[in-house]
Amino acid sequence: MINPVAEPVSLMHYLVVGAILFVCGVVCMTAKRNAIGVLMGIELVLNGANLNFVAFGSPYLQSGGAPSLGLDGHLMALFVIVLAAAEAAMALAIALSFYNAHATVDVDQANELKR
Amino acid sequence: MDLAQVLPLLLGLAWLTPLASFAAIVFFGPRMGHAGKGAGYVAIGAIAASAVLSILALIAWLIAHPLGGGHDAAHPVAAIAGEWYPLAVAGELKIAIGYYIDGLTVAMFAMVTVVALCIHVYSLGYMHEELHEVTDPLVTLANGQTLKRRGRFHRFFQYLSLFCFSMLGLVIAGNVAMVFVFWELVGICSYLLIGFYIERKSASNAANKAFIVNRVGDFGMIVGLMALWSGLGTFSFDEIFQQVRPAGHGPAAHGHALTVPDGMVRFAAREEIAAIYQGTPDARQAEHAIREQLPGWRAEGLGYGLLVVAGLGIFCGCVGKSAQFPLHVWLPDAMEGPTPVSALIHAATMVAAGVYLVGRFYPVFTPEVLLVIAVVGCITLFIAATIALTATDIKRVLAYSTVSQLGYMMLALGVGGWVAGLFHLFTHAFFKALLFLCSGSVIHATGTNEMPRMGGLLRKMPWTAGTMLVGCLAIAGAGIPLVIGLSGYYSKDGILAQLYSFAGQNPSYAWLFYVAAGGAALTAFYMFRLWFMTFLGSPRDEHVYAHAHESPRVMVVPLVILAVFAVIAGWNVPGTELGLQPLLEQARPLGTAEGASQGLFLPTLTLPAEHLSHAHEIHVPVTLLAFSVAVAGFLLAAVIYWWRLLDADVISRMFWPVHDFLRNKWWFDELYQFLFVRPVLAGARLAAGIDRVVIDGLAHALAGAVRLFSRFDDWIDRLFVDGAVNATANVTYEAGLRLREIQTGAIRQYVMWVAAGTVGLFVLAMFLWSYTLAGP
Amino acid sequence: MPHVVLSLIVFLPAAGALAIAFTSKDREDFIKLFSLLITIAVFLLTAWLAIPSTGRGEPSTFVVGQSAMQQVFRIPWIPAFDIYYAMGIDGISFPLVLLTSFLSMLAMAASWNIAKHVKGYCILFLLLETGMLGVFMALDFFLFYVFWEVMLLPMYFLIGVWGGPRREYAAIKFFLFTLVGSVLMLVAMLALYFSSDLSKLTPSQQTAARLQPEELRAIAAARSSSTPRPVHTFNMLALAEMGQMKQSPFDTPLLWGKSVQWWAFVLLLIGFIIKVPSVPVHTWLPDAHVEAPTPISMLLAGVLLKMGGYGIIRFCYPMCPDAAYDLAWLVCALGVVSMVYGALAAMAQKDFKRLVAYSSVSHMGYVLLGMGVWTATAGNAFVSDYWKMGMNGAMFQMIAHGLSSAGMFFMVGVLYDRVHHRDLDNFGGMFARMPLYSGLAVGIFFAALGLPGLCGFIGEVLVVLSVWNYDIALAVVSASVVILTAGYILWTIQRVYLGPEYKGPHPEALTPITRREVAVAAPLLAFAILFGVYPQAVFRYMSPSVDRTVSQLARWTKEVKAPRLAGTDALPAPVAIAGPIEPSASALPVAPSASK
Repeated sequence: MINPVAEPVSLMHYLVVGAILFVCGVVCMTAKRNAIGVLMGIELVLNGANLNFVAFGSPYLQSGGAPSLGLDGHLMALFVIVLAAAEAAMALAIALSFYNAHATVDVDQANELKR
Repeated sequence: MDLAQVLPLLLGLAWLTPLASFAAIVFFGPRMGHAGKGAGYVAIGAIAASAVLSILALIAWLIAHPLGGGHDAAHPVAAIAGEWYPLAVAGELKIAIGYYIDGLTVAMFAMVTVVALCIHVYSLGYMHEELHEVTDPLVTLANGQTLKRRGRFHRFFQYLSLFCFSMLGLVIAGNVAMVFVFWELVGICSYLLIGFYIERKSASNAANKAFIVNRVGDFGMIVGLMALWSGLGTFSFDEIFQQVRPAGHGPAAHGHALTVPDGMVRFAAREEIAAIYQGTPDARQAEHAIREQLPGWRAEGLGYGLLVVAGLGIFCGCVGKSAQFPLHVWLPDAMEGPTPVSALIHAATMVAAGVYLVGRFYPVFTPEVLLVIAVVGCITLFIAATIALTATDIKRVLAYSTVSQLGYMMLALGVGGWVAGLFHLFTHAFFKALLFLCSGSVIHATGTNEMPRMGGLLRKMPWTAGTMLVGCLAIAGAGIPLVIGLSGYYSKDGILAQLYSFAGQNPSYAWLFYVAAGGAALTAFYMFRLWFMTFLGSPRDEHVYAHAHESPRVMVVPLVILAVFAVIAGWNVPGTELGLQPLLEQARPLGTAEGASQGLFLPTLTLPAEHLSHAHEIHVPVTLLAFSVAVAGFLLAAVIYWWRLLDADVISRMFWPVHDFLRNKWWFDELYQFLFVRPVLAGARLAAGIDRVVIDGLAHALAGAVRLFSRFDDWIDRLFVDGAVNATANVTYEAGLRLREIQTGAIRQYVMWVAAGTVGLFVLAMFLWSYTLAGP
Repeated sequence: MPHVVLSLIVFLPAAGALAIAFTSKDREDFIKLFSLLITIAVFLLTAWLAIPSTGRGEPSTFVVGQSAMQQVFRIPWIPAFDIYYAMGIDGISFPLVLLTSFLSMLAMAASWNIAKHVKGYCILFLLLETGMLGVFMALDFFLFYVFWEVMLLPMYFLIGVWGGPRREYAAIKFFLFTLVGSVLMLVAMLALYFSSDLSKLTPSQQTAARLQPEELRAIAAARSSSTPRPVHTFNMLALAEMGQMKQSPFDTPLLWGKSVQWWAFVLLLIGFIIKVPSVPVHTWLPDAHVEAPTPISMLLAGVLLKMGGYGIIRFCYPMCPDAAYDLAWLVCALGVVSMVYGALAAMAQKDFKRLVAYSSVSHMGYVLLGMGVWTATAGNAFVSDYWKMGMNGAMFQMIAHGLSSAGMFFMVGVLYDRVHHRDLDNFGGMFARMPLYSGLAVGIFFAALGLPGLCGFIGEVLVVLSVWNYDIALAVVSASVVILTAGYILWTIQRVYLGPEYKGPHPEALTPITRREVAVAAPLLAFAILFGVYPQAVFRYMSPSVDRTVSQLARWTKEVKAPRLAGTDALPAPVAIAGPIEPSASALPVAPSASK
């Protein structure tokens, strides 16, 4: 069993951080009732994914001769950031609208589609 | 001017004038004078104009064809035939409105118009009640009151005019189809006039009976017409006579023997002709072959049956119209009409039309048909005379007497007495019209038809009694034997003489003569019974007697005129041959002067030539016999009803079965009711029932079956087709319902599911990765 | 410009119906008046057409004496199936067209006291008139069929909505019976269509059938083609020409050893005798008549029944002569049975209208009988005169019956409007209460009775006289009907018009006949008298065409049927172009190919 802390920073470290971020995001999405909280969870998930893209795209973090994604990874990360921004804008607008209508941003209250 | 143009014009005008009167009264009748009184004058004017024109025509005819000099058989009969316009044309066939004018036509025109004129004038008086509101004592309303109605004076004359038009049309007709047309029209006039008192059930029943019984005769007539038509292809008298009596056939001296026409032979030989046509494709050759065969076929008797059928059929119509046995039942009932109608239609003219047609159609009748005519006439005269013995209704006595006299005419025609039969038609028209009008005068005065309620009217009504006595004498054939007599004397003698001559030739048919002679006695008996009961003795009903009065002059004058005719109609103008009998002799149709014999089916029957009966050895004994039987009848009547030596009631009780039988008119009405009327009505109900039950039942059953099937189909539909569709829908729906449970709407739950699902997928992928998805 | 005139006649009522559809339904009087004006206009148009043409130049009206089809036009309608918009008139159809427009006018005038849904009534009435006129004028079998159905539907509604208490039953019965007939007709039509072959016609026959240039081209193409393909047609004239050819395309066997034309004849005959109607398919008639409103009864009896007879003379006989020859006895027997049976059934009726309806069955029997008497046989040396007479009589009987039955139904209607019952035993005394009405009614009843001097007599006597040559037994039975007819009609007159007093309910309602009612009844009686006294007024229009039809069939009998019967016609070799029966109508003014 290797000690990751003792190792030099490699791809694996990035991936671990990304995974932690992802899990934190998912947990945040499931656990938070506040819509803003859920939104933050989504951001975390996206950031976790972005970290992976960037890590895979780095030419310095190769392992075992596997080819790097190169610029594609960076490009994807940029796309995700842009999308996340747009998504955040939309989601905040929906949340605001929902708040105006229901005086709350509790996602458990937003079950109108169920009926 | 040419007679051939003048006569049709004169007679055509005489024919159409009453029609104009009819039309005028139809449109303006109620507005003519007070309560339509003017209608009477219009009708009288029209018939008077007709009479004048007819007499002019008669004079013109007599000038052009002087009488006397006997009848030359070699000469073709003088006749003017032509056509006014066609009714229908089909290829060579044509039915037209045309005319056939000979001595008979002209004489009939004169007789009909003169008698009709007298009766029209008489009606002016007789029908005057109809000018006011009429109370009909014979009709009781539902509320128990007697009927009061408006008078129908104009309508009576309207019908009379229509009748005159129809009757004259019948006489002038140039072909049998036209005869049939007017035959029906006089029938409908008779219907309308019998039923003149439309409120009386008995009158409308009698009218219906008259028309329907006549239609039975017409049915036979149509069959005869069909046989003629399909054999000859023509209805024109002229052409029929030429085909049936071609020149040059028969004994060389006379020619014009009865010959089966080519058309009838061909009709009967249709199978042979078809065979020829199939053997010979060329039409001309085939026709040639047929023409060669024709005489042979004729000799075999082909087509003769058709000629017999044609003759019998035409006679059938005459049986109906002239009320011969077995269709005589309608005429006595027809007395429901006003008395002038009985006089004009049911005594003088229409009922004589049957005899006229037999006379007109005489050349076509084969000996077999003539025998049938004679037998039917003989039976009729006997039956009617016997019924007249016991009738108490004055008009019914006269009606049965009419039937009986018509039987005489038919009998005469049937045994070859062409002139004798038609002569009797003319004389009978005068004296029977007279008798009816006299009875009408009596009824008018007493208000009853029943002779047992009359009696002793001689003092009250001398003119009526006198003229009626003339009528009775004429019908009985009174005269000084071999010197002079009333009109009936001549005509009845002619008939009996011809019968005697016939009986001499055909001993097996001698009974015809005896019946006729006996009938003469019956005639005298019932006529004088009538006169004695009405005018002599003491009044039997004081009320009626007190009420009685002589009729007004407008009614008496026609009586006198007719009485004069009843006396002189049989006479020739002294010193000349100008008279009715020579005129008829001149009109004698082709080929009938020499009698007839050798029918195909009755080769032994011989019809003697009529001129033979004028021979002294026949004429004298017959005259004496006729006189003596008439005197016998008169004496019997006088013994019972005048001198009262015998009591009529006692006699009738003594012979009660016979009396009952005669009172009930030989049960003919009941018999026909049982034999014909009921079965037809039952058939009608059956037909209607078949419609309702069978045909409609079938349709309904079909509809029901279709509905049943459709219900079955519906069930199939619902169970299987709909079932499958519904089941699919149900399953989907149920699945949806279940799946809905997990749609909680809680986003966080979804995210959990997503996360858990992702993890689950990863786990699954890890398990499966190495084994299946990884490549080698 | 025949297509303008004939189309105008046929479609003017339909156009009127369309116009009424855009009118407010509250303006009832206006709608009635407008409909009446339309029917009058149609009648005037047909009456104008009846003025005999001078014969100079192209005739604009009817040419009296010309036997062939006149005013013919053929315009492609559905070219894919060789269907044309083709119409024309001849002596057979034109009198019926006149009768239709005349009776429609009177029936519309008789409709004045229709109170329910006047707008709908008038629209349906006018559509009905279009259908009726179209049936008589169509020269294309398909077009005929279309008009036949067009006439059916309005009739269904007119009975079913405006009828008496059992109207639904009657309307459905009428509809189903007629529909069965028209379905059979459809089958026969298709059978004839698919057997027909224009390329077998000779040039003169092509001219007679008025073939259009495109059809001639199709024929030429078919003849020159290496694989011959038949050129089908719905052209009624061409079908008739084909039916009477020596090697008719309709002679091919179809089913159970019977030829196409045998089956077509039987199917068409069933279809048409339902309409006539003949026993045993007549029971729709009494019900329909009893329930239908008076004007509709008039049209039903006056016009619709005639379509059956018209169909037989126009389709059955010329197109399927071989079958017609073999089955002539059937037609005659149906006629005689109808005559007797109808008269008997009429005698047993208690309902006035039912009685009149059954009298129609009896009277229309004469039509069948007159058409059926095929006397042009070898035994009669192929002389067709008696058949001509029967056929003329049958056609005349259709006109006469149209007048008398319409009149009788109207007369019943006049009474029904007043007292609202039709029970024959509850009338009586009409002569005293309504003298003018009774006079007119008795006149019309006498016309139905076949009294000489009135129209019924001519038709009946011509038919009956022609029968003896065909079959003696039938002749005797048919003659006996005069007794039954007299029986039921006189009995009816006695029960309704004679007698001392009226016995039924609502005696107070028996007001004298109104002027409008006189205006309907009087023309009927007037024409009944005119045609009875001077039948040539009809025959001069009718006879040439009827005679021509019969002569052609007689010649066919002589040249085709007789050899067939004799067995000498055994040669099966199909000639490419069979010989014509008759170079008919070679005297036509202009050959169609040259026109326009």
